[in-house]
Amino acid sequence: MAVATLALVGALISLYLLLYKLGVVGSLICGAGGGCERVQASRYSDFLGLPVAGYGVAGYLVLLAIALYGLGPDRVARPGPTRLLALLSGVGVLFSAYLFSLELFVIHAICRWCTASAAIIAAICAVSGLALLGERRAGAGA
Amino acid sequence: MADAGRSLKLFYAALAAILVVGVVLIVRSKGGNPAAGLVASSECNAPPLADSSPPLRGMQLGPDSARIEIDEYSDFECPWCARFAILTMPDVRQGLIPTGLVKWRFKNFPLTEIHANTAGAHLAASCAGDQGKFWEMEDALYMNQERWGSQRNPEGSFLEYARNLGLDTDSFQVCMKQQRNWSRIVADKCDGIRLGVEGTPTFFVNGRRLPDIPAYDDLKRLVDSIAAATTAKPAAPSRATAPRR
Repeated sequence: MAVATLALVGALISLYLLLYKLGVVGSLICGAGGGCERVQASRYSDFLGLPVAGYGVAGYLVLLAIALYGLGPDRVARPGPTRLLALLSGVGVLFSAYLFSLELFVIHAICRWCTASAAIIAAICAVSGLALLGERRAGAGA
Repeated sequence: MADAGRSLKLFYAALAAILVVGVVLIVRSKGGNPAAGLVASSECNAPPLADSSPPLRGMQLGPDSARIEIDEYSDFECPWCARFAILTMPDVRQGLIPTGLVKWRFKNFPLTEIHANTAGAHLAASCAGDQGKFWEMEDALYMNQERWGSQRNPEGSFLEYARNLGLDTDSFQVCMKQQRNWSRIVADKCDGIRLGVEGTPTFFVNGRRLPDIPAYDDLKRLVDSIAAATTAKPAAPSRATAPRR
């Protein structure tokens, strides 16, 4: 449940940044520093020709779908969804770390919404990892 | 089992509530302006204007003959541009421009892809420039950026600034309505795109791009070093050593 909630919040944050990038949202609520706009205006806000925020929306929706699928009554005990969540969120953490390092060392500006998203994907990874460990221990104890 | 089903239903309801709240917040933050989206990189496919280099009227400080040219590619809705204009530009006007060594050129680089109201602001500044008050309007726009930047229709704010600056508001409104200087604003942006400008503000000193947003001291040092180097150049001794009359 925690992963699904976090994924939904992450998807909304990414959607906000994507709509801003596409010019649908006029200006970002980002505090006085304006780091979000500087980051979004940089060339690093696109990855392989597509907005980075778009990858965020897609990634979080996939995580949300897997998390909701795993909540089904006949699937709670199966380790598959948890493993997939841990794997995908791990990839997300690595990608977020890459983006964060760009903000720190290349763009020299911090986007708060991007940082919030990085924290969310890290939390999803931690929760999934812990759940996976718990399942293994339970499996070993049985 | 029934408890589990009930808590799952509650959870789905909570998720739905988060979704609704999130969407409402995003929709409420949505800006919009008919002037948005007027500049696209594709517009730069058109050949540059014959005189693409000269700035729009009033968008230059310092004499044409100045040896050092500093071009500032700026967007009126960009917070970093506002910070530079408010914190650094007053020192530039007081310390660098009076030396006669520098011509400072404002180059329009409206990021219409991400800023809903910036096109209107650039038009407003250019229309003020037509009446000789570009820099005053620039100050007004940057000082009040958060205000007009968050408005659905900022035209009233632009008109208010024009009135406060003592402009002929009828001419100003006609200029705005006709988007009179738009092609020149686009030409500025296209110049920047050709030079590889990706974000704002971006600065070029005698054609060389600065890696970051400079502080006043950095600019002063740079200008002094260029001035010293060009004065010492043996290639131009006649100008440097010409007797004063």
